[in-house]
Amino acid sequence: MSAATENPAGSTTRSTALAVTGLSVAYGNVVAVHDATFTVTEGDACAITGPNGNGKSSILMGVTGMVRRRGEVTIFGAAAKNGDVRWAARHGLTLVPERRQLYPDLTAADNIILGCYTWTRSIGKARRSDPYRKAVDLFPELKPHLKQAAGTLSGGQQQMVAIARGLAADPKILAVDEPCLGLAEAVAKRVYDVLAQIHAAGTTLIVVEEAPRRALTLCNKRVEVRNGMAVNSQGDAASPDPDGPFPPGSPA
Amino acid sequence: MKFGNLIIAGIVTGSIYAMFAVCVSVWYRVSNILNLAVGDFAMVGALGVDNLHRVKGLPLPVAIITTLVVVGVFAYAYDQVVLRLAQDGKRPIEGIVITFFFTFALSFFIDGVAKMLFGTDVHAAPALWGGASLTLGSLNFARAGLLVLACAIIIGGAFWLYIRFTLGGKALEASGENSVGARIVGIDTKQYRRLIFIATAVIAAVFGIVESPITGYTYLSGATISLTGFIAAAYGGFRKPGRALLAGLFIGVLEALLGGYVSAQYGNTVMYAILAALILAWPRGLGFESAVSQ
Repeated sequence: MSAATENPAGSTTRSTALAVTGLSVAYGNVVAVHDATFTVTEGDACAITGPNGNGKSSILMGVTGMVRRRGEVTIFGAAAKNGDVRWAARHGLTLVPERRQLYPDLTAADNIILGCYTWTRSIGKARRSDPYRKAVDLFPELKPHLKQAAGTLSGGQQQMVAIARGLAADPKILAVDEPCLGLAEAVAKRVYDVLAQIHAAGTTLIVVEEAPRRALTLCNKRVEVRNGMAVNSQGDAASPDPDGPFPPGSPA
Repeated sequence: MKFGNLIIAGIVTGSIYAMFAVCVSVWYRVSNILNLAVGDFAMVGALGVDNLHRVKGLPLPVAIITTLVVVGVFAYAYDQVVLRLAQDGKRPIEGIVITFFFTFALSFFIDGVAKMLFGTDVHAAPALWGGASLTLGSLNFARAGLLVLACAIIIGGAFWLYIRFTLGGKALEASGENSVGARIVGIDTKQYRRLIFIATAVIAAVFGIVESPITGYTYLSGATISLTGFIAAAYGGFRKPGRALLAGLFIGVLEALLGGYVSAQYGNTVMYAILAALILAWPRGLGFESAVSQ
């Protein structure tokens, strides 16, 4: 935990992992994200917080390429292709989506190993790979359930499978969307412990979280979203003012 | 040994049903669409080879390869033009329903073209392995039947190995189970939909070619084949190719036994009554409920 809560903003040698400039996402005529700009430094744990339905998830969907977007996204300095999830994954950005989006009839092990699909087509290579083994080893409680269909697992176990699948993709940045949605408090705590472990091991984290208090136990940086606009960016080296470029709550 | 011979005949027809059931359910797993045209590809395979070989005078291997290539290219074009328009538009859920009817239309379209090209008579592709039946004691093994069985085992086995033991096979399953989840790990779900649509079309054509010497095909035979494949696939809940395969074999054997012992004329009627009763009596065990609830 100590490594996880250290503020890396003081260090100037870290590179920018993710830079988002003027990101907008719209579904038909409904604008979900309007002109969001923020950066995430390598080694950061960044919380994206804000009320439900304000576009937090859409930011991640746009950034990872799950939906089309407007605006610039660069991942470790390379300009990301619009709508190309594979490209983002290969450049180190992997999404653990809201509601987990597992494959219910496949076994937990198969769910996890499909994370490797971002970088290989060989099941043997995937099984022997470091990312896959580490992802499985991170969740000893999943071991007895690996041969079980993912749809029959408990909510907490499913969330762990989803995180493990994300890790199997060997990410440098792991974007986790509402990891504790519908989970009991004890399970939610376990999920956050795991996220802290992942962060301590050197992975940059982005956590979308409706409950900022929980997220801020782990995160050193916060992007707050209101009405589809990223309005507040705390702890960012670029904006030392804790209230960020906008006064809190001003845009409506 | 009437019983033994009926069982053999049943297994041969059953393996055909099983293969079509597998084709239907594998594509359903990938795309969540039922392909009503799968039997028509079998008919095109059989009548196409017959036409090219017997009427146009092409050598048999050339006729077979040409037919399979035409079926494959046609399936590719259909996916690129029609399925893409229907499914990849802005309202994909509605699109799935529409696509179901598009495969229905495809079936009629193929029948119409086949009627013009091949006429309305019963034809069949030439037997690939001619000669009298092989006998073992009093059991008769028709050579065409053995060939059908061999194809079913090879193609069915290859499918099974692919799905069970390769990452591509698991990706294929994943794209049918949860297309959002599949895209997250970089799976191109459209590519799998296309791949399996073409593969099942070509496999259906192959089965049409090897099976047609047994029953003979007309331009309308496709619908019957599709129907039986559908029923077998339904017993596997449309999503379980393994169960669909067993159901196909079971239906084939049941049909043969009813035809042999009960009545050749009313055998089918009795069979469908039994199948309907089975579904009503045991929906969960047959996976029917899961098909409905999904």
